Amino acid sequence: MEKAIFYKEWIKMRSLLPVMGIALIGVTLYALLRIDRAVTLNGAPHLWQVMLDKEVVFIEMLRFIPLIAGLLLSLTQFIPEMQHKRLKLTLHLPYPRHRMILLMAAIGLGILTLLFAVQGVVLWSYLHRLLAPELTSRALLTALPWWLAGLTLYMLCAWICVEPTRYRRGIYIVMTLGVCRMFYLSDVPQSYDGMLLWLAVLLAGVFFLPLLSVRRFKEGCQD
Amino acid sequence: MNDNVIECRHLTHYYGKRLIYRDLNFNVPRGRILGLLGKNGTGKTTTINILSGYLRPREGQCRIFGEELHRLTPQTRQRIALLIEGHVQYSYMTIEEIERFYAPFYPRWNRDAYYGLMEKLHVAPRQRISRMSCGQQSQVALGLILAQDAELLILDDFSMGLDPGYRRLFVEYLRDYTRAEDKTVFLTSHIIQDMEKLIDDCIIMDYGRIMVQMPVGELLSTFGRYTFSTPLPSLPDLEGCHHAQVSRGGGELFSFESPDTVAATLQHAGVPFEGLSREALNLEDAFIGLTGKY
Repeated sequence: MEKAIFYKEWIKMRSLLPVMGIALIGVTLYALLRIDRAVTLNGAPHLWQVMLDKEVVFIEMLRFIPLIAGLLLSLTQFIPEMQHKRLKLTLHLPYPRHRMILLMAAIGLGILTLLFAVQGVVLWSYLHRLLAPELTSRALLTALPWWLAGLTLYMLCAWICVEPTRYRRGIYIVMTLGVCRMFYLSDVPQSYDGMLLWLAVLLAGVFFLPLLSVRRFKEGCQD
Repeated sequence: MNDNVIECRHLTHYYGKRLIYRDLNFNVPRGRILGLLGKNGTGKTTTINILSGYLRPREGQCRIFGEELHRLTPQTRQRIALLIEGHVQYSYMTIEEIERFYAPFYPRWNRDAYYGLMEKLHVAPRQRISRMSCGQQSQVALGLILAQDAELLILDDFSMGLDPGYRRLFVEYLRDYTRAEDKTVFLTSHIIQDMEKLIDDCIIMDYGRIMVQMPVGELLSTFGRYTFSTPLPSLPDLEGCHHAQVSRGGGELFSFESPDTVAATLQHAGVPFEGLSREALNLEDAFIGLTGKY
């Protein structure tokens, strides 16, 4: 049955994933190309100096990419469930309902994590040849909250999509915007280092939020 | 052993402050096909939503196979096939994909039943369901229900959006299947002629209550339309008679009573009449006779 659930999610995502994968890698390569051009023009030592003096990591253009990826994947997976109240079919399947929803979410989170991991590997592969290990990890640690933001928005968007009433959906959207803002309060590299654990805890907490909407759907809440 | 597949007791439901029904009680016995008939807004879909576990009634409880609806185990859900209003399915899948998706959930999955019906549609196996006509989509939904080999089928407005040909195909296929396999069916439809060919028992709902629950054969043999001529412009309330009215000197009423009893009722109420005659009804006429045209 788990294979069948995975199969359904795959069918929903299969058109988006190649596009998203290519776009993610494309934007990442473009960011790296810009760094490469700066190295060609000014040399690597200049790059190091700018990174330290001006507190930049040269991959800032990637900061909202995980957020967009999380949003798109979540909409792709959960909007079809709510069109024509198709979630009724899903919840009627002979499989534990909570486990079903969490499995669907876990599949999406797993795919996003994989995409972000590939992006991380691409960044590391290039940067570690160019920068000192400390500067490479500085860039990746700066990007880590962005990836966590993408995963968190994915879950929050699932929570909003499955919610059966417009009123609550509106409230959840405002709350989601607030939560997402938390990941982008500072532009300074590594400023979230002390908060990474709490952001991970936040992600673990929002993982279960769609169950709240499913419960309301089951109770028959409607506009 | 309790032989009711569905048991609903004292169901009361409101949307906001609007009462849908109060203290509704009904059973669906094993092996019967029961149709729920009612005008728009009488609570048919509400009842289906309660039975499919997607609405918690304000009061009362329903049990299916002895289990409380909001606590149905996956094993029990496996015994219940559900058709959602509008034949909603995973229309982003093809007919092959949707079969492959559903099959692992049902140990008695009957692939041949599904593809037997799909062959009649003349569609490519890789055609996406969303690109099929409404009638073809209804057959996909029916095929999936038949393949599940469930003991109980709950079908919400199965004739919605279907042309006469597809309605007939749906009804005949479903009737042959349910009779041959001794299934229990609870269904609603707006097209009452279709119900007549399919159902054993009917529940006719009016606003807030059940008017009649009985076998269709019994309803059609006992409930009749009486016509007569009368000089009165209108008729008083007559006990045991429904929707008594006069139009151009012709009186009409509907009743379960015998012609003698109806004649006595008219005389007792001081209604002058001549030529009282009784007509047998089909299910649609009986429905109109009980619930009225408006």
